[in-house]
Amino acid sequence: MKNQETMKKVFMYSFLILTSVMFFFPFYFLIISITNPSIDITRGRLLPGTHFIENFRTMIETSLLSRAVINSTIVSFGQTILSIFVSSLAGYGFEVHKSRGKEIVYNMVLLSMMIPFAALMVPLFRLFGTISEVAPIFGIDTLFGVILPYVSTAFLIFFFRQNTKMFPKELLEAGRIDGLSELGLFLKIYMPTMKTTYAAAGIVTFMGAWNNFLWPLVILQSPRNFTVPLVISAMGSGYLIDFGAVMIAIFFTTIPTAIIFFVLQKHFVAGMVGSIK
Amino acid sequence: MMNKKGYLALSATALLLLAACGNGEDNGAASEGDDFEGITDDPTELTAWMWDPNFNVAAFEMAEERFQENNPDFSLNIVENSQADVIQRLNTSLSSGVETGLPNIVLIEDYRAPSFLTAYEGSFYSLGDYFETSDFADYKIAAGTHNDNVYNVPFDTGVTGLFVRTDYLEEAGYSLDDLQDITWEEYIEIGKSVYEQTGVSWITNDNGDLGLMRIMMHSSGVWWTDEEDGVTPFIEGNEPLRLAFENYKEMVDAGIVNIHNDWDQFIQTFNNGDVVTVPTGNWINASIMQAEDQAGNWGVAPIPRQSVEGSVNASNLGGSSIYVLNVEGNELAAEFLAATFGSDAEFYQDLLVDIGAMGAFAPASDGEAFEVEVDFYGGQQIFQDLAQWTQEIPEVAFGQRTYEIEDILSVALQDFLGGADLDEVLQNAQSQAELAM
Repeated sequence: MKNQETMKKVFMYSFLILTSVMFFFPFYFLIISITNPSIDITRGRLLPGTHFIENFRTMIETSLLSRAVINSTIVSFGQTILSIFVSSLAGYGFEVHKSRGKEIVYNMVLLSMMIPFAALMVPLFRLFGTISEVAPIFGIDTLFGVILPYVSTAFLIFFFRQNTKMFPKELLEAGRIDGLSELGLFLKIYMPTMKTTYAAAGIVTFMGAWNNFLWPLVILQSPRNFTVPLVISAMGSGYLIDFGAVMIAIFFTTIPTAIIFFVLQKHFVAGMVGSIK
Repeated sequence: MMNKKGYLALSATALLLLAACGNGEDNGAASEGDDFEGITDDPTELTAWMWDPNFNVAAFEMAEERFQENNPDFSLNIVENSQADVIQRLNTSLSSGVETGLPNIVLIEDYRAPSFLTAYEGSFYSLGDYFETSDFADYKIAAGTHNDNVYNVPFDTGVTGLFVRTDYLEEAGYSLDDLQDITWEEYIEIGKSVYEQTGVSWITNDNGDLGLMRIMMHSSGVWWTDEEDGVTPFIEGNEPLRLAFENYKEMVDAGIVNIHNDWDQFIQTFNNGDVVTVPTGNWINASIMQAEDQAGNWGVAPIPRQSVEGSVNASNLGGSSIYVLNVEGNELAAEFLAATFGSDAEFYQDLLVDIGAMGAFAPASDGEAFEVEVDFYGGQQIFQDLAQWTQEIPEVAFGQRTYEIEDILSVALQDFLGGADLDEVLQNAQSQAELAM
């Protein structure tokens, strides 16, 4: 009996160790690679080297990465704050308020999730072409232009509505009796109560914004405005690629998302299962 | 009664955001305004879209510098993306009809050029009157010709060579001389013998990439599509294509092929010394020379030819040309290109010396830079050889569907390698490609 238990454990641990190694290996290779010259990276060297400083220098000299990190940070934070605010207002409204035709509108919003972005790109670009003529600061080749299409997304509205189902509506009644305005109810009762939902939505949106590629690629034209994925993609294309520099760029841009995730991990899990304190 | 703190926090966030985004605009404020409508406002600054920092971008920076000697006000704003990204952006901009932000100059791979010129007729500016087109290899000019107008200034040639590890050859009792002007059948025979004696793979290939077939077919002057309309698939009854399939299967069956799956693995294979020959475009040179420990052990022979009439020992793989968009600034862009890439033989010498870029400009090949004996290749004058082969490459009409048809054919190739009947495989591919039209 005890023997069987041990066997089970041994099996379980070896399985877990094996999968951990599999998941950890890409990171290990990334970290090793930033210290090796390009030739050793293509040769698949798995030991640390001495080329870190050269790689770093090449990366700084040949790419606009530092500028891109600033741009990506602005876009990601901007998009996260704006979109979770706007979408949570919508999700809250859909769930809490009653109005005729509400469900039809909501279903239409959900349907828009079915349209792939690639199909929207050309019409969207045309729209921004027109916006550029009227208000250039919101148009093509601006960071606002990157954020605007994502300010309200069907997924977030859906996410907030679903989570709002568990929100105790009595709190709103109590707030009304105490004389809070409708906006006050949202800002001072709903938002603090739904903290974990906001955290989960925030992480998802931030990661999506940080890694977003297609739309920034199309809308941003000057290198000065490029975001991180665009710069990395450009570095990895050519007859002779300096993998050392590419690896350094990837390394430094993986850090922010990793930090954000680890800081908010607790809330993220709680938010995903929809807990309310 | 929303308290003051709440409003304050909210408006502070909003302000911060506005400021942050605004900052993105203001930075480099001097150029922002001009940049945005740079094409119309400031006729001395041009924008160019391209890929590859060490090659294309470096070449254009050199061209900019040269042009500035006589035009001090001129400046070139180079926007660097990957090739796939340049295509994506160009397609979106052109198909939405929004001119804002379109570049003046764009680099397009020769295989893709015909489809752009056909799909966006009128969007490109004709350059034939700006430079002497006969100075360039015919096949390069043909790639950018649409309705008898020349729209491209050719840039790098994709002239192929058979890059060989001479030390392995010698070990098996062969020399570089045995590989001069041979057919693919002879190439395979030597390969079998070398593999038997050294145990090193003779060639490395990616079964999902039909580059090798392209090399074989181009040397015989045919392509996947009909040379007249550029759309009708030419798969069934295409003798060079058939032969290419057969030859490749023979290599695979003989066990002399190393299979790689992507570009990194490709480079890894020869950098690690796991393959004897690399038949590919001259642009591979920089990656080969990365492995300094292999210096002196390489040589370049002419690419093998096919056993069909008209096939020559010269072919091409890849390479791109420069195009000018029909937006304001087009004349300046054309003049800039004509003065540099279009006519400056000395500039081509510098390109070769500084970044290893080989143009398709015939008058440049007599220059000193091309005569240099490269120690890495055992003192061979590889650039002169390659330049000479460039002028021998047959003219081919690339058509509008190169990669689309290749997607179909790479599946066909897998079927054929798996043992299916070749006639049937090609017939199927032909009807599939016709259906997709």
